[in-house]
This record gives sequence, C-alpha cells and structure tokens, in this order.
Amino acid sequence: MRIRFLRTEGFRLSALYAGIFSLSILALGAFVLVITDHALRDQIVQFSSNDIAAVRGAYAHEGVREAREVVEQLMAGPVSSDFYLLQQDGKPIAGNMPAMPMRTGTIDIPRSPATGDHAVLGVGAFLGPGLYIFTGSDTARLHQVQEHILHVMLGLFGAALLLAVAGGALVSRTFLNRTDAMARACRDIMDGDLSLRIPVRGTRDQLDRLAEAINEMLSRIGQLMNNLAQVSNDIAHDLRTPVTHLRHRLERARADCRTPEEHTAALETAIAKADEILGLFAALLRIAQIEGGERRAAFTNVDLGALLEQMREIFDPVAEEAGHSLRLSSAAATIIRGDRQLLTQLFANLIENAVVHTPPGTHITLSVHGVDGQAVAEVADDGPGVPVEEHERLFRRLYRREASRTQPGHGLGLSLALAIAELHNAHIRIAKEGPGMRVQVSFPPARESA
Amino acid sequence: MKILLIEDDKETSAHIVYALGKEGHEVDLCHDGAEGLERARGGAHGALIVDRMLPGLDGLSLVRALREEGDQTPVLFLTTMSGLDDRVEGLQAGADDYLVKPFAFPELLARVHAVTRRSQRSGDGEPVRLKTGDLEMDLIRRTVQRGGKIIELQAQEFRLLEFLMRNTGRVVTRAMLLEKVWDLHFDPRTNIVETHMSRLRGKVDRGFGAELIHTVRGAGYSLRAD
Repeated sequence: MRIRFLRTEGFRLSALYAGIFSLSILALGAFVLVITDHALRDQIVQFSSNDIAAVRGAYAHEGVREAREVVEQLMAGPVSSDFYLLQQDGKPIAGNMPAMPMRTGTIDIPRSPATGDHAVLGVGAFLGPGLYIFTGSDTARLHQVQEHILHVMLGLFGAALLLAVAGGALVSRTFLNRTDAMARACRDIMDGDLSLRIPVRGTRDQLDRLAEAINEMLSRIGQLMNNLAQVSNDIAHDLRTPVTHLRHRLERARADCRTPEEHTAALETAIAKADEILGLFAALLRIAQIEGGERRAAFTNVDLGALLEQMREIFDPVAEEAGHSLRLSSAAATIIRGDRQLLTQLFANLIENAVVHTPPGTHITLSVHGVDGQAVAEVADDGPGVPVEEHERLFRRLYRREASRTQPGHGLGLSLALAIAELHNAHIRIAKEGPGMRVQVSFPPARESA
Repeated sequence: MKILLIEDDKETSAHIVYALGKEGHEVDLCHDGAEGLERARGGAHGALIVDRMLPGLDGLSLVRALREEGDQTPVLFLTTMSGLDDRVEGLQAGADDYLVKPFAFPELLARVHAVTRRSQRSGDGEPVRLKTGDLEMDLIRRTVQRGGKIIELQAQEFRLLEFLMRNTGRVVTRAMLLEKVWDLHFDPRTNIVETHMSRLRGKVDRGFGAELIHTVRGAGYSLRAD
C-alpha cells in the first residue's frame, strides 16, 4: 500500500501539472535550438562575407597578389573564418582547401576528407573573371552550442519533473492523511458514537468544506435519531399503560368473576381495551405512512367548501349529543389539490378535538375563505382554549394535556393532522387570538392545469 | 357456503377457519398464492378471502388474474393496517371489498355475507325501490314512507337508511357504515355511527309498531322486519 498516494487526486493533479510543465520546457528548448541555429549560421555567414569584402578590397586596389596576401593574413588572424580558398581558373592559389565547384552565395559543404572531416558553412563569390573565393567555418562550433543548450534544457526538464513528482507526493500524502483521518472518524461514528465529528483544520479549503458538510449532516442525523428515540420511548411508554391496564382487568376477572355473565362482561371490556391499543398502533402507522409522502400520487381536485359542508352533516349529531352546536359560516367553493380521504380525516380530527375537549354549550364554527391566494380552512370553538405557550406541544406525538387525560383519544389527533397538512404543503397553526381554540389550515392555491 | 381462504399466516388463517366454520361455512385453506389461484380456478367456491402478501403469487396479481379469466367469484381482500393504498389497489384489481387486519370476527362475517349477496344481486339491474316490511324507499324521487306515512329524512339519514335497506336481513358493522355511507376510512373518536343511528331510529322506528333497526350486540346493526 506504499504507492497508495499514486491513486490520490492530489498526485494525479501534480503529475498532470508536471507533465504540462515539462512539455513546455521541451517546446521552449526546441524553439531556442532553432533560434540559436539561425543566429549562429547568420553569424558565420556574416564573418565570411566580411572576410570576402576585405579580400575583394585588396584585389580591387592591388590585384591577385595582394588578395593572396590578405587571405593568408586572415588565416593567421585571431577572429576569422576557419576555411579559405582563393581559386584562379580552377586552381587553388591560396587557402587551406582543395579546389571546389565555383558556386556563389551561402554554401553548405558536407563532411568530407577535402575539409579534413569537417562540415563547413561559408560564402562563395567571384572577385574577378576566373578568380573565385570561398571562406567558411566549421559548423562543429554551432553544434557544440546547440548541444550545450540541449543539456541545460534537459537538466531543467529533469529537475522540473523531479520537483513535480516530489511535490505531488507530498501534497498527496497530506491529502491522504486528512482523508484517512476523515475515514477513521466516519468509521468511529458508524461504530456508534454519533457525537464524534470529522476533524476540521480551519483552512477553509475544499476538504474543510467537505468535513463541515459531513458534520452538519451528522448533526441532523443525530437530531433525527433523538426524535426517533423519543418517539419510540413515548410509544413504548404509552403502550405499556393500556396493556398493563388490560392485564390488570384480566387478572381481576380471573379472580373475581363467578357467573358466565360476569365473564362475558370482563371479556368485552378486555376486547374494547385491546381495540384501543390497536387503534393507537393504526394511528401511529398511518402517521408514519403519511410522512413517507407516498400518497401524493392519489391527489385530485377537492372542493374544500363542499368537504366542510359534508363534515358538518356527518358530525352534526355527534356535536348535538355533546351539547355543542356545529355550523358552517362560510363555504365558498374552493378547489385545492389533495387526497380526499386524508383531508376528511384531518378535519374530522380537528372537529372531534373541539367536540371532545370543550364543555357543553360550546359553539364550533367551520369556515373556508381565501387569504392572499391561499385557501384557509378553519375549525374554531369558543371554549376555554389552550394557553399560547402550549400550542406547539399540542402537535407532538402522544402529547396529552393534563386536563384531557381522562378523555378518549391517544394524543395523536393533531400529529396526524399535521402530517396530513404537510403532505399537502399546507400550513397548520393555532391562532393566538381567542376566544377559544381556532385551528387554521392554509392550503397553497391549486395549479390551473392540474 | 364453501369459501376458499388464501392466507399464509397460520394464526390468522386458523382464526378465520374457526370463525367461518362456526357460522356453518366450509373453508378450503391454502397458504400459497400460486396454488390458491389453481384452486380458485375450479370455480367451486362461493367466495374467496385473499391476503395481500402471499408466497408464490401476491394477492393483487391473483385477483387480477382471476378477473381477467372472467371469474366473478366474490373476493374479500385482506390488508395490513399500514397499507393505506392497498385497499384502493385491491378494489382496482377486482376485489369486492377489503378488510384491514387485525379484524373482529363479526366484521369478517358481515363482510363475507355482504360480498356474496352483492354478487348474487348483480345482473338484476339497479332497483328503483327498496322495501323492508312496511318501510319503502323510492330511490328516484328520494322519498321514504312507512305504512303509507311519509318520513322526512336529511341527506345523511337517507344515505344511512338506503345502505341498511340494501343490506336488509344482514348484519352491517360500524366500520362498514363509516366506509360505505360516509367514506370515512378511519376509526373516529366520537360516536358518529351511534348518533346518526339514534336520529334515524327516532324517525323510522319511533311511533311505529315494530322496530326495524336492530342492534346486534358486539357486531353492529341489522335492518329487518320479523
């Protein structure tokens, strides 16, 4: 696993940069080589031309003899070309080269025994009829310079490559160390300690931002787990109570019941108690399922006004029996998108709350009206109401007010209403202004095309 | 009646066999969906009780397959209480009614009777008048009279009485009334059924000689003239 860093993103990036950098150096080297080649060749041609000009001057003034002398002087001079040839009518008369074809202009003479195994670059020209001159230099010097440049470039290339690889490895190792630390922290968290967090260096780099995002996610998960644990606890606790009561009743029945009638009566209360427990289960499962959000597929257009009118008809006898009045104050046709059965349950829960938790003589009023493009359905009563500070707790699962512990119900009515409202993207709230209790459900407007 | 029960849970099936047997029904029991479909194809059963989740072939596919083959044997679908959508799917697949587990025996019996009666009646066309003893309902003119005397009913009372009359002589349970009369698919905390029934009794039975609406202890209600 020692070359593990070769697989890291840091190393890959470093390698890529090193590659691009090295290629740039190579390209630069090639460019420099071409440029210097040109420059050096130009220089040789220039030197040669200068020499020819000097010889030409001598010849013009004093003839062939003087030209020969100048050539010999130049050959002995310190700054001059390496090769000279003064040739008259095809025969060399001065210089250090054998006779050659009389070409004029810049001439490349390949390596040959005639030039002593040197490649020569030079200039050829006629001084007069039949009098030809060539001066040139060994191109070996040129190649030496080029080789030198090449060596420097290759050295640079190697150094850059080495630095890039070493730097990449270093960056990767740091990166690896940090990702390893993150992976370890994740594993520790998976082992059960949800309070652990991924280390953050505080440098605000990508890894820090990643670590922070993971930490935020962990906080959220922790919060949800706590909620879950809380709900599970509540459920276990709340179920224990009725099951314990059931058990007590059955024990008492076993001890006390003598006649078949007494047995039957005891069994009937036991069955009723069991039904109550099953009802609690059903409500909890229903909430979980609604919160799962699967039911949106069953949405249709629902007229809230008509729905509330129907609810009033259904609950009217119940309200009357409890000594309440139930009326519908305004029910303009208001179309929303929703699941009719679930909406029925939502309003049934709100109406039943009002019926069960208020004293006889209370007026319960249903209404639907539009507010800012939203459809607001309200179930209001003029009973004693609930203190504002308790409003939020009312929506909690299995929360039951002290005063209502003796009433039928399992403390899930408003939780279920909340879950149904949220499924409909509706907002459910308890109005702070009295009198009594006013629960409002605000639905977003139905889309035109739906 | 011979009933085919397709249910893989041993305890539930034992309870159902016991309850139906006590009522004098003969129960064929089958624990596997594919085998259940084969047996149902024989057409020898008055009704099928089919669980949603089955090994071999699930209940929905089983019912769908039967209906596609033209088999019209009444089917009662069993679902778990977490399956909110199961009942809709069950009815769409061709089941006649559904029952959420766990259920009480009277509920099961009432539902089985209701689905078998419903299928016997189908084909006669919709009746326009319902009659039970001296109680008569005109479904076209939406009027009710008993012994020639007109009874004024509110909309909800009319729906309730109509359902009772359509099931004359049968036991209808609280849950059946909530579902079929008011479309309420949950257990309300208040006495919706009882209070409506009390109002209806006040109009239909009070002041007349014999009671037509009977309370069936531990099960529900029954409308009958005896």
